Amino acid sequence: MMEQRSAGRRTGRGFGRVLVTVYGILAFAALGRSSYELVVKFDEAPVAYTLSTLAAVVYVLATFALAIGTPAWRLTAWITVGIEAVGVVTVGALSLADAQAFGESTVWSGFGQGYGYVPLVLPFVGLWWLWRTSRSTSEERTA
Amino acid sequence: MEAQVTHGPIAATQVLSGSLRDVILALLLLVVALCVVLAGWAGWFVARDRAVILNQLWGGAVVEAFVLVQGVVAVVQGANGAGAADPLLFWGYYATTLVILPVAAAWAFAERTKWSSVVLLVASLTVAFLEWRMWQIWTGA
Repeated sequence: MMEQRSAGRRTGRGFGRVLVTVYGILAFAALGRSSYELVVKFDEAPVAYTLSTLAAVVYVLATFALAIGTPAWRLTAWITVGIEAVGVVTVGALSLADAQAFGESTVWSGFGQGYGYVPLVLPFVGLWWLWRTSRSTSEERTA
Repeated sequence: MEAQVTHGPIAATQVLSGSLRDVILALLLLVVALCVVLAGWAGWFVARDRAVILNQLWGGAVVEAFVLVQGVVAVVQGANGAGAADPLLFWGYYATTLVILPVAAAWAFAERTKWSSVVLLVASLTVAFLEWRMWQIWTGA
């Protein structure tokens, strides 16, 4: 009982189930996109496609970290979701300032425009959820 | 730039390809329609604050079965030299479409709150969207 309290709520339960689902779909999309780019046309824009691959790895890690949700994985979730938030804002701003900044578009270009802005919204929802589940043990209803 | 490669007796192949194209479109519309129905069913459950039930997973299995049929038709069409404009991209999307529902169903079913219904809703709409993307890739649009 005490262990459960100190660990906070599991990040993969309740609303977290939906969050992990959307993360999983985005991870799949990013992974598929980067694999395709690496195989077919890596030479065209190495910077953009390396960035796509990095983004894909981060999405996969974040998905697993949020799904498992144990204290050790919670740290991984904070880091990966944090990287996404910084990544999408930075790359989004740079691509807005200079459309050719990375040679080609990436998952994060135009603040994730090509993916319905899901890549922009998701990390901030993720950070909110990590924060919410880490502090809400006291106000949690006993089921 | 679409290379029209034909194998074997040209007339027979073209007739087959033409009718198969209709089959592909009909299958696609059917899968999209089923996904929308499944999403509606899940959405109704969200509104009623209910968790996913086994019958909804059977619904997902029906969608999945038709997606498998789509794969067979796509292979046949490809063998006739009239496959997707970009095969690698098409099969990448196909693999994703095939995987999403089973994984989402298992993931949703382990949660016994309304959030499991939201998971099914999101997964169904994603499959419908991916079907549309596959059609774009198939026709080279």
